[in-house]
Amino acid sequence: MNVLSVRDLSIDYLTSHGPVHAVRDVSFDIAAGETVAIIGESGSGKTTVAISLVRLSPRSARITNGEILYTNAGTTIDVRSLDEEELRRYRWNDCAMVFQAALSAFNPVITIWEQFLDTGRAHGMRDRHTVRERAGELLDLVHLDPRRVLASYPHELSGGMRQRVLIAMSLLLQPQVIILDEPTTALDILTQRSIIDLLRTLREKLGFAMIFISHDLSIAAELADRMITMYAGTVVERAPVRDLFYRPRHPYSVGLLRAVPRVSGALGAVSSIPGQPPDLRRLRPGCTYQPRCPFAVNECGDREPDLVPVDTPAHDARCIRWEAVAKSVGDTSVDTGTAVGG
Amino acid sequence: MTTTPADTKLAAQQFPFGGSARRARRMLGQTWGHPVARALIKALVTIYVATSITFLLIRLLPGSPVEIKIDELTKDGAMSYAEAAALASTLFSIDLSAPIHEQYISFLAATARGDLGHSFLSQGTTVSSIILAVLPWTLFSVGVGSLLSFSAGIFLGLLAAYRRNSVLDHVLSTGGSIISSVPNYLLALLIVLILGVQLRWVPMTQMRGSVTPGIQPGLSLAFIGDVFFHAALPISVYFLTTIGHWILSMKSATIGALDEDYVTVARARGLGESRIRTAYVGRNAVLPLVTQFAIHMGFIVGGAVLIEQIFVYQGVGLRLLTAVGQRDYPVMQGILLMTTIAVVVANLIADLLYSRLDPRIGRAGGATG
Amino acid sequence: MSSVALGLGPGRSLPGPLAGAVRFLRSLASRPVGLVGFVGVVFFVLLAFVGPLLVPLQETSDVTAVYLTPSTAHPLGTDFRGRDVLNQIVWGGRDILAVAFLAATFSTIIAVALGAVAASIGGRVDTIIVGISDVFLTVPHLIVLIVVAAILRPTGFIALAVVLAGLQWSGLLRPVRAQVLSLREREYVEAARSLDLGLFHIIFREMLPNMRSYIVIHFILAMTGAIYAVTGIVFLGLVPISGQSWAIMLYFAQAQGAIFFRDSFWYILSPILAIALFQLSLVSLVSALEDIFNPRLRNG
Repeated sequence: MNVLSVRDLSIDYLTSHGPVHAVRDVSFDIAAGETVAIIGESGSGKTTVAISLVRLSPRSARITNGEILYTNAGTTIDVRSLDEEELRRYRWNDCAMVFQAALSAFNPVITIWEQFLDTGRAHGMRDRHTVRERAGELLDLVHLDPRRVLASYPHELSGGMRQRVLIAMSLLLQPQVIILDEPTTALDILTQRSIIDLLRTLREKLGFAMIFISHDLSIAAELADRMITMYAGTVVERAPVRDLFYRPRHPYSVGLLRAVPRVSGALGAVSSIPGQPPDLRRLRPGCTYQPRCPFAVNECGDREPDLVPVDTPAHDARCIRWEAVAKSVGDTSVDTGTAVGG
Repeated sequence: MTTTPADTKLAAQQFPFGGSARRARRMLGQTWGHPVARALIKALVTIYVATSITFLLIRLLPGSPVEIKIDELTKDGAMSYAEAAALASTLFSIDLSAPIHEQYISFLAATARGDLGHSFLSQGTTVSSIILAVLPWTLFSVGVGSLLSFSAGIFLGLLAAYRRNSVLDHVLSTGGSIISSVPNYLLALLIVLILGVQLRWVPMTQMRGSVTPGIQPGLSLAFIGDVFFHAALPISVYFLTTIGHWILSMKSATIGALDEDYVTVARARGLGESRIRTAYVGRNAVLPLVTQFAIHMGFIVGGAVLIEQIFVYQGVGLRLLTAVGQRDYPVMQGILLMTTIAVVVANLIADLLYSRLDPRIGRAGGATG
Repeated sequence: MSSVALGLGPGRSLPGPLAGAVRFLRSLASRPVGLVGFVGVVFFVLLAFVGPLLVPLQETSDVTAVYLTPSTAHPLGTDFRGRDVLNQIVWGGRDILAVAFLAATFSTIIAVALGAVAASIGGRVDTIIVGISDVFLTVPHLIVLIVVAAILRPTGFIALAVVLAGLQWSGLLRPVRAQVLSLREREYVEAARSLDLGLFHIIFREMLPNMRSYIVIHFILAMTGAIYAVTGIVFLGLVPISGQSWAIMLYFAQAQGAIFFRDSFWYILSPILAIALFQLSLVSLVSALEDIFNPRLRNG
């Protein structure tokens, strides 16, 4: 059963030079307890999609089309149609978001405890003791000392600690969905590791669904059940994690996989994709990836390809040359050197 | 650059003078690291420097008031130089026969005791008593005006930031920048000219002075009403000429705070708008303004001279002008010193308030890890 | 890389001064507030310095024509001695503008020199300089100015400007220092330092040229502060810097009680408006300049 279902979502940013089509016709589903990773370069629209799920897009953003359907206890609502108060209650209670900038995610002038309390009170937790108890349990879960952390101000905690506190806080109201937007980007490699392990344990214990936004495929692959590749504001491939990793069918996914640093490899093994993403104000007809694509043929410029099933029904790619890609990469030829979990 | 606790620790490691010295050094370092102590030390140093400058002005510069006074006293042959010098000594509370550094020290000591010398004009009246009679009125009017304008300014600034590009925002921003660039005494003159003389809406002459003569001081409604009646014009001018600055500063600080990640996260956490506006946006935006407030105090107290002269409000500024007119140097010097101390104390309060409001300052060297 | 190239900073080609002026005016033109401010400043500078060359000073008093309301003969009316108010307005700006300009120049020089030294050397020197500036900032300037003026009795322009600058630099020091501190981290300064070009060279050849816009803004702000202080103490009658100025007009208006005379409205309003509008022009110009030099500040 899907808890979140995004249908044909399109988002424009209004600028003085005309609208930027940041997200175009994005659709995906998330089942209860499932983890979906959205990957892509910066500017691919993945964060824009994530933020729109809790309707916190910047003022300049406009959702021009689509639905964001959220299902809870058999009732389905469109998040787009919620009014301010309904939206406020939906946020964090149903769908929590852990931001990229955890270092600055907390109000610097009040204690962590007050911020837990604010969050609880906003969602009807009247009793301080209930909030205190629940916060204590959650901080224990993320391996922090509740007494010390709750009395602290944000600047007194390290980056890794703050990220854990935010994760703990995101679980305060037991939301069905948690969105994590590059939750480990600002952290050192060891802390990244422990956060990923932590997320995996928490998910097993609490059974929430996760949307994991990352530009780092190896991290995404460790947590995700399914992966979505976004390019130039649209989904170019979606597949179960193993399929995408071992049998990518869109040239952009292939490029991203090649860009993953190999643990065993030399520095030279890191290849970033040459070329620039297209100008999202003036999209030319045809495939948006064509200018950078090593597989491109003339027909690629005719019209933007549809997202079509490849290999299996669960695997879609937006590429007319997917068979050529398949022939080229074979089955496991893209050796990332990273174990795929999930 | 200020000394951090880490610096002090380093210094202690570099100079191991044995346990007690190290402990003393560490204590000193901790004291300096403590914001309250630092603010206190800063205040004391400022008062000390201001006192020294005053001494320099009246005693060391060529044509100093002391010499002018002695010249005056000896000119018509009424007094010998020694007699005149002795009289000048008592008037200024300075022993002129002592070497200059001893004069300096005794001057500092006298100031510390609150002995600011005697007025030239009304013999036997101490400068301290003269100042104490007028300073409260200035502090009252300046304080009320500034605090009102600060509170109203941050409220309106917040409003303008939340309704950015609305008509209200344009009115507040444009009005604020116009009114804050007009010198305060010109505004006072305009009030006299337009409201007092042309339109006769304001009874200028009745409002002169700090209270109506003969009224019984006390906690009666009539007295308090009278105090505010007489202070109303100065307070309005202090209010109007500073509010623009607070509106504009608060607006830009709020716009900055609204962009902060923790505000977006607070929205994502489903917090109510009113809680976000006060505890998340407002409280962070107002922080930098608290320190600005302290700097403003000196400016406003200085400006009070002009305002009190125009409205004939009997505060310290008007008294200073009288002293200047009478060449009553001890009074001038005392007023300079006392207003400086008043501003230093206001600064100190702002510093302490700031360290209470901003935990990043209040808990220097707090736990991390 | 030659040191000349270094001096220009990254990505900054030196246009002819004329091209720069044209570009500056063009960016001003798109900001109505700035344009109004700029026009206002130019107007008052012309009025104060060119005006007296065109209009002879009218000094004769006419007891039959005191406190006249505006007419074609006297567009702004007459004063307590029957002299033309407009004539005095034309003549009354020069001294104030000159003192303000000098005071702003001196205080900017002091602040930039001390700020650059404090930030470049750092350590104890920095602590001391910042400490001194804090003390000067705390003391109520106008009161010091009044006491100093009462004791020293500065009569000339320059003396008054020096006294003013001696107080005002403190307000500029911290921003200048902060600017130098941030510039110090830039690559061309790093480069100059690694070439071991010396403190003097780094400050005057690398940093100052890159702080031009910043210094201009603070210079104008210092001018507004100086105008406030000068007109203030002249209005109080403490330093008669010369026979003609907007502030002296106000002093006489107050001393003669003209302010309580209903017919003398325009006589008093004229110098008030002159000072206020000039201040307003300067402040508008500054806000536009800040916008041009650092657009991020306002859009944020």
